Amino acid sequence: MKIIVCAKQVPDPEAPYTAVQVNSDTKEISTKGVAPVINPYDENALEAALRIKDENGAEVVVISVGSKISQAVLRRSLAVGADNLVVVDSPQFKSLDSSSIAYVLSKALEKMGEYDLILTGRQAGDWDLGQTGLILGEILGIPTVNLVRSVKIEDGKVVAEKILPGAYELVKSNLPALLTVSSEVGELRYPIAKRKIQAYKQPIDVWSAEDIGVDSDKLVQIDMSALMPPPDMGRDCQFIEGDSPEEKGKNLASILKGG
Amino acid sequence: MALIDWKADMVRCERCSNCKWVPWQKGPGLEFAQVCPSISKHNFHAYSGAGRYHSSLAYVTDKIGYTEGWLDIIYHCQMCGACDITCKTNRDMEPQEMLLALRAQCVEDGQLVPALMDVMEGLKAEDNMMQSKKADRGNWAKGLKVKDLTKEKGEVLYFAGCRISFDKELQKVARTAISVLKKAGVDVGIFGKEEACCGGRSYEMGYQGEIESFSENNAAMFKAAGIKKIVVSCSDCYHSFKVLYHKIGRKLDIEVLHITEYIAQLIKEGKLKFSKSVPLRVTYHDPCHLGRLGEDWIPWNGVEKKVMGQLVLHDPPKVFRRGKYGIYDAPREILRSIPGVKLTEMKRIEEYSFCCGAGGGCIDSDPDYSLWVAKERITEAKTTGAEAMVTACGWCERNFSDAVNETGDALKIYDIIELVEQAI
Repeated sequence: MKIIVCAKQVPDPEAPYTAVQVNSDTKEISTKGVAPVINPYDENALEAALRIKDENGAEVVVISVGSKISQAVLRRSLAVGADNLVVVDSPQFKSLDSSSIAYVLSKALEKMGEYDLILTGRQAGDWDLGQTGLILGEILGIPTVNLVRSVKIEDGKVVAEKILPGAYELVKSNLPALLTVSSEVGELRYPIAKRKIQAYKQPIDVWSAEDIGVDSDKLVQIDMSALMPPPDMGRDCQFIEGDSPEEKGKNLASILKGG
Repeated sequence: MALIDWKADMVRCERCSNCKWVPWQKGPGLEFAQVCPSISKHNFHAYSGAGRYHSSLAYVTDKIGYTEGWLDIIYHCQMCGACDITCKTNRDMEPQEMLLALRAQCVEDGQLVPALMDVMEGLKAEDNMMQSKKADRGNWAKGLKVKDLTKEKGEVLYFAGCRISFDKELQKVARTAISVLKKAGVDVGIFGKEEACCGGRSYEMGYQGEIESFSENNAAMFKAAGIKKIVVSCSDCYHSFKVLYHKIGRKLDIEVLHITEYIAQLIKEGKLKFSKSVPLRVTYHDPCHLGRLGEDWIPWNGVEKKVMGQLVLHDPPKVFRRGKYGIYDAPREILRSIPGVKLTEMKRIEEYSFCCGAGGGCIDSDPDYSLWVAKERITEAKTTGAEAMVTACGWCERNFSDAVNETGDALKIYDIIELVEQAI
């Protein structure tokens, strides 16, 4: 069984807010002195894939599409247990819209050959659009289930729990299929030291746009009309004085009442 | 400032190579003339401050991209600031600031070193640089009767720092510091397991975003505890609280003292008296972050102006940190006041001190290189005839101790507080 996990490199969503800078002129967001990370939802997808590998045995291949992809960051996927990493890197892939990224992924998948299951994160931690996985399923013409909280392989079929408001839906599908995975699956496992060392030495596949036969005319860059920082809400931190918890409580109540 | 903002300095660097040497006027002699550990080891121009200026210029002008070789050059640097000080002997340029911007650029671009990624993962998860459990942070203080400033108010906080808190062989430094301060009648307290990293080392490794959250958290904890004074044994923490927090716009309104400054002060006030002799011939190693990098931050908000087509001036005039006002006297005053201790100086001292090798993440990313640098310094220490090398930073002590263990040298390595306690 071959499982493909699509992983996007994003600015760290856990970066301190003061390290995040919104540039309205260039319409870009930068994180000062913060390293990029694998999109956390894609890490959930990788964890789901590794659990299938643990239970049923599978080859797990991680693929990432983008511009200036950090191999050091993506190699973490190998350190936790993925078997291979494919990086498709091209300056043309900067700021692509979701359908274009899905198109590039579909071209890369063509080159990769047969697969049984594709897992993506439910959305990416940078723009939170949540479209690429579903569009990719559409392009590939395979069964696609979104917002999955658990995945299993039973009798050659994939069985997934799809999140609904206050409930979940049990979906069984033929393979190959594509699932977009949510954080409920669980956090990505921690790499063991021995694998970490191997991961940074293991050869990986690095492809360009030409290698996978991407038609540049089909690529659409996001045309953002405006990008503004959120309004400064202001913060004022006060420490409530008092010799005892009771006195502190009274003083807090007094402040809250405006006294 | 971003890397591109240092382009003018990159252009201005004319390869005078001052960044490689202790000024000849200081008479370091041929054997100990080199000031930069990186060029000392690699003996190739690219590994010097000037080399990094020129390779960075090539990068910002799109002539080169990241390569394995260039990353090797960038990360084989202790960020010790030696090139910065020696450059300024005849230039108003700041290689250290450019190097910090270069590291930050690498981090933002994902050009990372696996070993440092692991350290950062640990920092994010457990608030320390030692890849240890946060819950174990206060273990060094087990059995000590010391005030917990997360529960009680107090004016003096002893901040142990990551290295001293978790390194079992160095925990004695913190325990001794508490013991000495209490003997001097100081009402000292600690944060125990609630203490978090200062954020300084990650800043120098290029992960400059992290210090934002750590400085915010630490400032809030200091405020909540009503602290008036922070005392640290770790020079990195000292530099972080005193210099970096100010630099990033979060200057603490609390007095930051290195333990050497505080002990020297207590001796002067007659609160600490030595009654025992410690017969020992010692030499003192100036930690980079306590010495040349420990000077107050000097904010400057102005513009660079080109005059007569080539001369660059700063408007308003910029005051440069040249390392002269680091903490050099306090540790020496302490050593001279301990009966029996005879202090002999090495050639490279004060702002021209040779790094211990542990800085800039090198102790994690390339321990062999880090140890090579420590051994160079130990060779210099031995030429003074000293029986022991005294330092005032946990990172220096760790690296020197490891080097001595490896070489089998008889030279003893002490933190200054250990000699203070022996003399009380």
